[in-house]
Amino acid sequence: MGVTDAPWMLGVRAPDRGRAILVVTVDGELAVAVHDAVPGGMAVIRDARSEDADEITAACIPWPWMVIGSAVSLTPALASVLRHRPVLTYWLGDPAAGLPGHARYFDRPAALLDAVRRACVADVGGMRLAPGSGVELDDGTLMRGATLESLVAAYPHGFALPTHNFRAVSNALARHNAGWSAQRDGACVRLVRSHVGAAR
Amino acid sequence: MRANPEVLILEDDAETLDELQDHFARRRFHPLGARSASRALSLLENNRYSSRPVLAIIDWDLGKAPDRSASSGDVLSRLARELRECPVIVYSQNIDAFNVRSQIQRSHPRALLHDKRDGDASLLERIDRMLDRTVGDLRIHDGTVVVHLPSLDQHHHREAIRLVVHHPEIVTFHSDTATKAVRRFGEWLHTHNSAVRLVSHGNRKYRLSVTASEGAAQPSDEA
Repeated sequence: MGVTDAPWMLGVRAPDRGRAILVVTVDGELAVAVHDAVPGGMAVIRDARSEDADEITAACIPWPWMVIGSAVSLTPALASVLRHRPVLTYWLGDPAAGLPGHARYFDRPAALLDAVRRACVADVGGMRLAPGSGVELDDGTLMRGATLESLVAAYPHGFALPTHNFRAVSNALARHNAGWSAQRDGACVRLVRSHVGAAR
Repeated sequence: MRANPEVLILEDDAETLDELQDHFARRRFHPLGARSASRALSLLENNRYSSRPVLAIIDWDLGKAPDRSASSGDVLSRLARELRECPVIVYSQNIDAFNVRSQIQRSHPRALLHDKRDGDASLLERIDRMLDRTVGDLRIHDGTVVVHLPSLDQHHHREAIRLVVHHPEIVTFHSDTATKAVRRFGEWLHTHNSAVRLVSHGNRKYRLSVTASEGAAQPSDEA
């Protein structure tokens, strides 16, 4: 078999700036299913176990775009990232303690995989995830930024995080006259149409 | 001057390895063949500063390898860490087993999987589909040139080939020479009024994008 004797060298632990879906499970079966569900080139699937979830989280630069988990507890570094960063959080089965308020829960793998697919192909007023990283506008402009990628993919949902996390995105959207901004709507901050700018 | 692009092949069966090497040599690639993982690691190390393979073909099961001091997982991990932009095809008799797929994807999260039970011909067909790619109005010819189909003009540079092979994914380039070559390719696309344009993601990361009218008809392939 091809299994390496040096787990600390595994490619899944290598730092990478590409869009990443971190899947933390006991055996990797869900990660394989997620791999099959995600359109080619859209994101890298990082298949983690509890024992290496913190290292792999740190290798996702700046942070994982999406975290999927099942039947595991949150590790300290992962819990910290989920508390402070806009990370799409999907959980299968019983919720782990410490998940953020914007986490989404699924009883069946099929429903979770469908949500993953929809996040990958989200289209918010012409803003779509570009392959690998960034958000493409209708006119071909590429906007970089992990927070904007998260907001587009989460739409119409948002993130239960402080508003200051999203100021840079709102400023960038205003500069591009995108017609959208990140605004608080109840407990969450999400994308909403802005009154100024040319709505696309 | 240009060198033919290298392809790394790790296959423990001597006959299959010869067949794969012949296939790539006929297509004007330079095959770097190895029957053991340790030999493949040496080839990667020896070519580290001179070239970077445009493709790697890795047999996951190395039961016939003459040397078992390293595993295919070690090679995949090295490729994932040091040659992330190199497309990798991993094939195995047990590719359907989720634990094998999980082990492969933990070694190399971007690896493409192929079922060895489909036979060598199936693997070669798949490789050819990758290397004879058409992206918008561009096509790779003989693994060594990118042809702009409307004008039949050719662009000879391995970094251009790498971008076309990798479409729509982002490719990271690791030297000033490579990024200059990529920018020249971008200018070449522009002057040829190509339907394909070069998109910069910063930090030496680039990808190709096909304009919407052309792109709608394009498979975003790698089958």
